[in-house]
Amino acid sequence: MFPQRSALVEGWPVLTTVLVVGIPFGIVARQSGLSPAEIVAMSVFVFAGASQFAMVQLFKDGAAWPVIVVTVLLINLRHLLMAAALRPYFAHVSIARRLAAAFVLTDEAFAMAIGWFRRGRTELAYYATFAVALYILWNAATVIGMLLGPSIGEPRRFGVDFAITATFIAIVVLGVRRRADAIVAVTAALIATALAYLGVSIVAVVTAGALAPLLVLLIRDEPAT
Amino acid sequence: MTWLAIAGSALVTYLIRAFAFRVALPSPLPRRVARYLDALPAAIIAALAGPAVLVPNGSPTRGPELAAAIVVIAAVGWRRNLLAGVLAGVAVVALLRLVLPA
Repeated sequence: MFPQRSALVEGWPVLTTVLVVGIPFGIVARQSGLSPAEIVAMSVFVFAGASQFAMVQLFKDGAAWPVIVVTVLLINLRHLLMAAALRPYFAHVSIARRLAAAFVLTDEAFAMAIGWFRRGRTELAYYATFAVALYILWNAATVIGMLLGPSIGEPRRFGVDFAITATFIAIVVLGVRRRADAIVAVTAALIATALAYLGVSIVAVVTAGALAPLLVLLIRDEPAT
Repeated sequence: MTWLAIAGSALVTYLIRAFAFRVALPSPLPRRVARYLDALPAAIIAALAGPAVLVPNGSPTRGPELAAAIVVIAAVGWRRNLLAGVLAGVAVVALLRLVLPA
């Protein structure tokens, strides 16, 4: 089978998930008062699911732009590890191609590509096909959600305002693979809550999130499940 | 303001993604650094979620958000499905807000 075809055949469950997360993103972004141009620009240029939801939340909280940029930086810092793991497989291609590959790097594309390379395959078309398909679907889903947004009626009444929070919780639960991860997440959530309740700025809340993972260095490590 | 945030976020996200494709990092990274980076995103997202659940709009929750958060954790933990959890959470919040007097 051609690597392009393999990428789509093996990747369709993940690609479907992208569609069902992207549509709610478009909806909540629109309902938070962002303009269509701003919403589309986020998906086209930032192209990072969890950070885009975080941006919408921070816009709603009235956070200053540097706070938003730093929060996105912290959430996406993990891509440093992923790009470093993929790099050897891209060592023989031009810089331009590597930089293009970097633009469409996501958790999902990383996971699919590593799975492919571990089977001893080397074709980069697999990564390129999957990553670009994900990019197109994420942007299509954003637009669909954005167009649906205004028709959903009063957000608070239907709980739609809770969709961002629910998405955050789901992302955290799916990301917990070790006991230490759960401890860190709960600690970050509780400290941030206490700080928010005391009325400190969102900067302190984000800082609490950035410091909490230092706990993993104190907790005796166990293998990921 | 909004555009600065979007442009800045796009730039830092791309620089992170491009950096390690371009420059060889010490391989493997020190274990502690790798572990910190691994735990970081969930912690930041949890820090955003915590206040939204427990002190939505600055005052303690009257219950719907907390109940819905527990439902989301249970649903996602059980089904490992993001959408199922989000839909369940939104439904619980909508229902409880309807039932509880404002």
